[in-house]
Amino acid sequence: MTLALVGLFLLLVLINVPIAVALGLMAVVGIVASGGAEALPNMGIVMFSGATKFPLIAIPLFVLAGAIMNVTGISRRLVAFASAVVGFVRGGLAMVSISASMFFAEISGSAVADVAALGSILIPAMRKKGYSRNFAAAVTSSSGTLAVIIPPSIPMILYAVMSSSSVVELFVAGIVPGVVGGLLMMFVAYVWARRAGLPAEEQFRLRRVWETFRGAGWSLLLPVVILGGIMGGWVTATEGAGLAVAAALFVGGVVYRELDWTGLRRAVTDSGVQTAVVMLLVATSALLGDHLTEARIPQQVAGAIMGLTDSKVAVLALLNVFLLAVGLFLHSAAAIILVVPIVLPLVQAAGIDPVHFGLVVTLNLAIGQQTPPVASVLVTACSVAKADIWGVTKSNLPFIAVLMAVLLMVTYAPAVPMALVEALYR
Amino acid sequence: MSRLRKFLERGLEAAVVVLVAALALVVLVGIAFRQAGAALVWYDETASVLLAWLTYYGAALAALRRGHIGVPTLVERLPSTLRVGALLAADGAVLLFFGLLAWAGWQVQGALAGATMVSLPAVPAAVARSAIPVGAVLFVAAQLASLPEALGRARAPTDAESRS
Repeated sequence: MTLALVGLFLLLVLINVPIAVALGLMAVVGIVASGGAEALPNMGIVMFSGATKFPLIAIPLFVLAGAIMNVTGISRRLVAFASAVVGFVRGGLAMVSISASMFFAEISGSAVADVAALGSILIPAMRKKGYSRNFAAAVTSSSGTLAVIIPPSIPMILYAVMSSSSVVELFVAGIVPGVVGGLLMMFVAYVWARRAGLPAEEQFRLRRVWETFRGAGWSLLLPVVILGGIMGGWVTATEGAGLAVAAALFVGGVVYRELDWTGLRRAVTDSGVQTAVVMLLVATSALLGDHLTEARIPQQVAGAIMGLTDSKVAVLALLNVFLLAVGLFLHSAAAIILVVPIVLPLVQAAGIDPVHFGLVVTLNLAIGQQTPPVASVLVTACSVAKADIWGVTKSNLPFIAVLMAVLLMVTYAPAVPMALVEALYR
Repeated sequence: MSRLRKFLERGLEAAVVVLVAALALVVLVGIAFRQAGAALVWYDETASVLLAWLTYYGAALAALRRGHIGVPTLVERLPSTLRVGALLAADGAVLLFFGLLAWAGWQVQGALAGATMVSLPAVPAAVARSAIPVGAVLFVAAQLASLPEALGRARAPTDAESRS
C-alpha cells in the first residue's frame, strides 16, 4: 500500500499538482483505504490542528521581518557594508553575496526571502561586471541557503516542534556549521573568480568600511537584539520573531525613513502568501504523517534498520542518504513534518542526540533546496536571474559540494555543532 | 470570470494583510504583558487560530496567483495538447482535494455546536475552526478563477516551440 501511495504522489507531482495537494491526496487515499470513507471528516480536524502549533507563528513573523528589510533599504545597506569589507577580493561581488547572506540570515529565517532580497540587488550587479548568468544565480542561491543553517531558521523551528527539542539549542548548534559553510563558499567563489578572471569590486579602505558601517549600524544591531534575546532566554523564538518585525519596522521606518504604505503593504501581502504556501505544506504533511503514524510506519522503519545495524555511524549514513533523496522531491517544511516522526524512534534507539540530528536534517534539506526537481531556493534565484534551472545547477555543483562537506563534518564530528550547545546550556 | 478574479484578489489580499498585522500585533502585545508580569491567557490560542486563518486564506490567494510549489519541468516539455490535458488533470486533483476538505470541515462544524475557545469562552469554536470549510471553498473559487489564464499559458507556444 505504501508503495502505491508513493507512486500516486510521484504521478501527481509529475503532472504539476502542487506538492501540498499531492501529499494531501496521498493521505486521503491512505485514510479511505485503511479506515473507509467514514474516517474522512477527521481530515478537517487534523488540517486545522496541523496549522495551529504555537511555535510555527515564528514563520510568518521572520518572513515578514525579511520582507520589511527588503523594502526599507536595510538589505541595500548590508550589501554596501559587505562590499566595503570583502569587495577587495577577486570575485568581490560573489564574496559580497555570501557575506551579506550571512548577515541577512541572522535576521530572517527564510532562504527564499534572503535570495529574493539580495538577489534582486546583486544578480544584476554581477551581470554588469561580467559574471555569467548561471554563476550569479548559483552563488546567490547557495549562499541564501545559509539562512536555514545560521539562526534563526524556519526548518529548525519546524524540527523543534516535531521532535520536542529545544529550538534555542538548535539555533546555537547552527552557528559554527553556518559560518564554516559561508567561509568555504567564499573560498570556492575566489577560486572560480581567479579562473574566470572576474574582477574585485572595490579597493579596501578603512574610511569606506567606517562610512558603510555607520550606514548599516542599526541593521547590524538587529541580529544582536533578536538572537541575543532568544539565546539569552529573555524571549522565545516566536517572541524573537515578533521583535524582529518590530525592530525592522523601527529601523526601516523611523531611523532610515524608507518605509511607505505601498512598500509595507507589499511586504505584508508577500510574506502572508509565502507563509501560507509553507503552512499548507505543513498541514497536509501533518495529515499524511498522522496516517503513517497510525499505520505504525515509524516503528516498522526503526525495527527494519536496527535489524540491519545498530552502529551509530551506519545509521547516520543511511539517514543521510534517505534525507538527501527526500530533499530532491519534497520541500523542506513537508520533509520535516513527514520524515522526523518516522525516523525519530530510530534516532533515539541509535543513541543520537536529537539536537545533533536536527542539524543533520537541516543540512540535508538545505542541500535539497539546491537540488532539482523540487528546489525552492534555487528556483527563486533562477527566476530573479532569468536563468535555466539545469544550467544554474551545473554552476552550483561546487557550492553543493561545500554543503555536502559541511554535512559530513556535522554528521561525523558532532562537536562541531554541539560544542557551543554543551558549553552554554548543558 | 475576470471580475470574480479581481474581487477575490482584493478580498483575499485585504484578509491576508489584516491577519499578518493582527498576528504580529498579538505577539508583540503578548511579549509586553508577559514582561510586565501580567501574561495574557488568550495570547497563545488566539495567535494559533490567526495562523490557521492566515494559512487557508493566504493559500487561496497563492492559488489565485498559481503560486503553490510544484514541479512544472515535465509538463513544460510536453506538446501543447498534452500540456492542456495535464493542467486540467492537475486542477481536477486540486478541486477534488479541496472539495473533500470543505465537506470534512463542514462536518466538523456540525460537531462543534455549543463548544467555545478555551481561553475566550465568548468565541464559539465553530468560528475559530471556520478557516477550514471557508478557506477550502475560497481555494476552489480561486483555482477556478485563475484557470482561464492558466489555460491560455498552457496553449501558448513555449520559447522552444516558437524558435522551431
